[in-house]
Amino acid sequence: MQTKIRKFLLTEEGLVHLRNEHEELTRVERAEVVERIQKAREFGDLAENSEYDAAKEAQSLLEARIAELQEVLHGAQIVEKSTESDFVVIGSTVIVQMNDEEHEFRIVGSMEANPADRKISNDSPVGKALLGLKTGETIEIGVGPVKSTIKVLQIN
Amino acid sequence: MIMTGSAIIQFPQKDLGLTLSEDKVVKKLVEAAKLVSQIYLKQENFKQNGANFYPRDATKSEIEIAARENPDILSPYTMVERGKNGKLVAIPYHIKFKKDLEKVAKLILEAAKITDNKDFAKRLKVQADALLDGNYTASDIYWLSLKPYKINFVIGPIERYDDKLFFTKCSYQSWVGIMNEKYTTDAVRFKNFVVSSRRKVLAASEKVDFLDKIQIRVDDTLIFSGLIARFMFTSANLPNDVNMMEKHGSESTIFIPCFEKKFQDERYPIYQTIFDRSVESPFSVEEIKSGALRNSYLHEISHPLLRYRDSERRLREFFPIFDEIAASTLGIKACGSLLLKDAISQKEFESILLMYIVLGFSWWISYLKEPSVVHYAQGFAIAINYFVENGSIRLNDGKMLPNFTKMYLSISELSDALERILAVGTYEDAKNFVDKYASLNIFTRFKQDLKQVA
Repeated sequence: MQTKIRKFLLTEEGLVHLRNEHEELTRVERAEVVERIQKAREFGDLAENSEYDAAKEAQSLLEARIAELQEVLHGAQIVEKSTESDFVVIGSTVIVQMNDEEHEFRIVGSMEANPADRKISNDSPVGKALLGLKTGETIEIGVGPVKSTIKVLQIN
Repeated sequence: MIMTGSAIIQFPQKDLGLTLSEDKVVKKLVEAAKLVSQIYLKQENFKQNGANFYPRDATKSEIEIAARENPDILSPYTMVERGKNGKLVAIPYHIKFKKDLEKVAKLILEAAKITDNKDFAKRLKVQADALLDGNYTASDIYWLSLKPYKINFVIGPIERYDDKLFFTKCSYQSWVGIMNEKYTTDAVRFKNFVVSSRRKVLAASEKVDFLDKIQIRVDDTLIFSGLIARFMFTSANLPNDVNMMEKHGSESTIFIPCFEKKFQDERYPIYQTIFDRSVESPFSVEEIKSGALRNSYLHEISHPLLRYRDSERRLREFFPIFDEIAASTLGIKACGSLLLKDAISQKEFESILLMYIVLGFSWWISYLKEPSVVHYAQGFAIAINYFVENGSIRLNDGKMLPNFTKMYLSISELSDALERILAVGTYEDAKNFVDKYASLNIFTRFKQDLKQVA
C-alpha cells in the first residue's frame, strides 16, 4: 500500500530556514543532548536523578521536532516567488487596514508562520480571507467574538 | 512571601540560576533596597493628604502661593518644611535624606565592584551618584539604554501616589528581580504583536511616539521596598516622565511572585465567584492564569502607546483614571487581530476578556484596603458599567454573563472613546464620562459574595 505524502507549502526562504534548522538539530544538538544524558548518568541513581529526567525530556522534544521537520522537508512544495502579482498569493507581503489599524505582514505556509515576526499562515483566518484579493478590495472576517473588515491597501 | 516590616516585602525564590558573583551582587542590592524603606517611612503619613511631604499646618492654597515664588516647592524631589520665619522652604531629597542615602549608595557601589557585567557596573555607579546628587535624569537614561540583563534593580524616588494633595511628590521605592526567561519570551511576543500595527492616531502633534524603544520583562522578584511594598503592584512601567519616554523609551516589568499571590488569593476566587457557571466551566486554572498574566502584559505594553503631551494638564485629577483604564482596554482591543492572525486561540482570547473583568473587581478590593488606588477601580467601573449598559454583560441571578462578541465590540468602542479623552478631551468631557460610568456600585453589589476575598 502506498503511503500518502503530506504536502507543505513553503516559500524558498522558508525551505532554506527549515533545512538549516534540521541540519543544526541533527548535527549539533542531537550529539549535545546525548552527551548531557551521559553526564547525568554519572550522577548515579536514575530513579531520583532530575538532571537525567530533564535531559531525556529534552531528547524526546528534539527527536519529535526532527521527525516533524523531516516530514515537512519530504513533502515540501515550493511556492513560486510572487512577482508584481495583482492579487494576494502565498509569499505576498501585504499592507491591510483592519478596522482602524494598518497591518503589514507576509502570507506564508503554516510551517513558516510566526505572527510576532509578521509572517501569517495561509491557513489563518486572515490568510485565508486575503488570498486572491486585489488592492482596494475588502472582505469581512470573523473568528469567535472578533469580527473585522479588512481592506487590502498594498500588495508587494 | 515574607513581610519584614510595613515597607519591605521579600519573596523567597529557589533556584534562580545565578553565578556566584551574580548571587553576591544580588545580595548587596537587596540590602540596599531594604535601606530605602527607612527613607520611605519618613515620607509616608496615611493621615495626611500630603503625607509628610508638606508641613501639617500648610494649606493647599498656601503651598500653591509659595510655589509661584519658588517652583521647587512643587518639585517631585523636595520635602517642604516651614522655615524659622514661617515661610515654606523646599529641601531636596538628596540633602534631607543624605545620611540614609550614603549607606544605600555604598552598598550599590560595592555591588558594582563585584559584577562581571561592565555595563551593569556602570549603571550601578550612575545610580549611586544620582541618589547622592539628586540628578536622576542621567541615571534614568543610562538605565533605559542598558540591554536587557538578567538582574533588574530599580531604586529612587519614583511614584507619586502618596501625594494626594498635588499628585507631585515622589516616594522612595526599590525592587530587585531576576529575569524569568519563559514568561519574558511570551511578553516580548505580545509586545511585538501590539507594536507591529500602525494605529490611527488622534491629535498627532500631541502624540508621543517611541514604539521602537518599548521594553518589557517578567521578573522573579526578590524584594519590594518602600512605596511598592505597600501597594504590591503586579507590574510597573517607567519612567513616568513623558519627555524622557519619548527620547529614551520605557521599560515595563511584571512581578511574577506578586502576580501569583494576587492570582491565588484574589483573582481566581473572584473569577469563581462573579461569573455564571456556564461561563466559568470551559476554562482550566492554567488558562485563566495565563489570561490574567497577559492582561498585565497588555496593560503595560499599551500604556506607552497612549502618551499625549498635555493630557495630565487638561484632565487634572481625572487623568489617572483614564490613563490606567485606557491602557488595559487598548491592550484587549489589539488582541482581536491576534486571534484573526492565528497568533492566539479563541479560548486564550476569551480567557483574556474574562480576566479583564476580574481585574476590575481586584482593583476594587485593593481600593477597599488602600483608598489611594481608587482611580484603578473607577477606571474598571467605567468599563464594566459600559458593558452592562449596552448588554455586553448581563447580570443573571447575581452572576455575570458576558457575551464575548458584544463585549469585544464594546471594548473597541470604549478604547476609542477613552483615547479620545486622553488625546483631545477637556476636563468637562472627562468629568461627564466619570459621572456617567464610574460608579463603584457595580462592584459593591457583589460585596456579600466576595466577602471571603475582600
